[in-house]
Amino acid sequence: MKDFARRMVGIDRRIIFLLITAAILLPMLKPFGLPIKVSPEVKAVYDYIEAMPERSVFLLSFDFDPSSKPELEPQAVALLRHAFRKNLRVIGMTHWLTGTGLADGVFSAVAAETGKERGKDYAFLGWSPGGGALIISMGQDLYKAFPSDYSKTPTQGMPVLEGVRNLRDVNYMVSLAAGGSGIEMWYVFGKDKYRFEMAGGSTGVIAPGLYPFLRSGQINGLIGGLQGAAEYETLIGQKGMATAGMDAQSAAHFVIIALVLLCNVFYFMLRGEQGRPR
Amino acid sequence: MIFLKRQLPLAITFVMGIAFTFQYYIPHPVSEDAITNVSKWMQIISGFALFLGLASLFHVHAVKITRQVPGWGFSLALYVAMIGTIVIGFWSHGETKVDGGQTAFGWLYDYTMVPLQGTMFSILAFFIASAAYRAFRARSREASVLLVAAVVVMMGRVPLGQFLLPWTWDVTQWLLNVLNSAVRRAILIGVSMGAVALSLKIILGIERSYLGGGRDQ
Repeated sequence: MKDFARRMVGIDRRIIFLLITAAILLPMLKPFGLPIKVSPEVKAVYDYIEAMPERSVFLLSFDFDPSSKPELEPQAVALLRHAFRKNLRVIGMTHWLTGTGLADGVFSAVAAETGKERGKDYAFLGWSPGGGALIISMGQDLYKAFPSDYSKTPTQGMPVLEGVRNLRDVNYMVSLAAGGSGIEMWYVFGKDKYRFEMAGGSTGVIAPGLYPFLRSGQINGLIGGLQGAAEYETLIGQKGMATAGMDAQSAAHFVIIALVLLCNVFYFMLRGEQGRPR
Repeated sequence: MIFLKRQLPLAITFVMGIAFTFQYYIPHPVSEDAITNVSKWMQIISGFALFLGLASLFHVHAVKITRQVPGWGFSLALYVAMIGTIVIGFWSHGETKVDGGQTAFGWLYDYTMVPLQGTMFSILAFFIASAAYRAFRARSREASVLLVAAVVVMMGRVPLGQFLLPWTWDVTQWLLNVLNSAVRRAILIGVSMGAVALSLKIILGIERSYLGGGRDQ
């Protein structure tokens, strides 16, 4: 028995890789379709957007690049579908240069699906350098920070930006962040000075670090990882990539839990041995 | 030279640091105009940082290729990819789409950069699983607490876990909102105090490592 335990502790990692592959692929081929529970932090974002009057200004910052696409793109799609359905004026932008094409693609796709027009119902401003300095610049004068949008159309006189001079005229903003240049930066340089309400969407790995901002009211809601995106899809009643991906994530989590528990069983079986297992 | 390399930067740092600390609390039009202009300067300087980064990357890998250090082939691949992307970018006038159609630059972004970055990140799932199997052991009381918390959160954050053990959802919410928040807040306060102290040292000229270590110093 101990020989078996010893062999299992030192199992070839390719077997673990195969198990994870199977756990991800099988639910995609045959989904379980389990119900998604909605957390209060995701519901808070939904409720705020739901309560906004028509033609309010909603700023969505795509602060991620393609490496975080599987988690954050479904959040962006769900938020845009909700905002367009509520007939809000949406302004999009990104702090991550490599995320610009991705963000433009999401905007174009969701706008086409909902029949919204660039320049009239939404504007995608693209990327500009500066990070925190760009936020301050937008807070002072949006047209100096972005004289033209991503498609090189001058921002001055754009119908969607009518009455919008700076960040003080934004009614709600959500930063979809994969790292440092995101939610914290928007709070420190933006919300704190220019007084707009904001929420965050993040990858699962950085979400726990954002809970202090949520509890202190610095952000009014938080969409965390693929689970958060699936919760938002449930709230808007339009299932998408996140809901489809949750079955694969469920199975992968269970495989990892089973592996960790098994390894601990083998570890305790070998614990009394001389030299203890590594 | 000492004046240009040392005293002038220190004086600029001191004046700008003090001025823009007070600017935050003075909502006068002059003060607002100042921050509008300075934020634009900062954006321009950030833009130059991109060129610096690019120049540094080219230099580091050029050295590796000329000296043929182990792994220089990767540097060559980086050179080919960077130059290829720059050439195609200029050729497409930096546009990813023209009249609804995809340009070569757009194609390069959609079919190389997006899948490559996605692949790099998704590989993590496999390595995390393998690392968790080997390293996540209840060797001590602290490690056992961490192990139990991790298992509960992993169950509580997915629908299958919520379906099989519904209590894991509530425990996960409590762990994230109470214990995790308290610890993170303590870390954030500590880091912020450190940032304030370091900023003060830089503004007052006590911390000067950002000036570099040139001959004149």
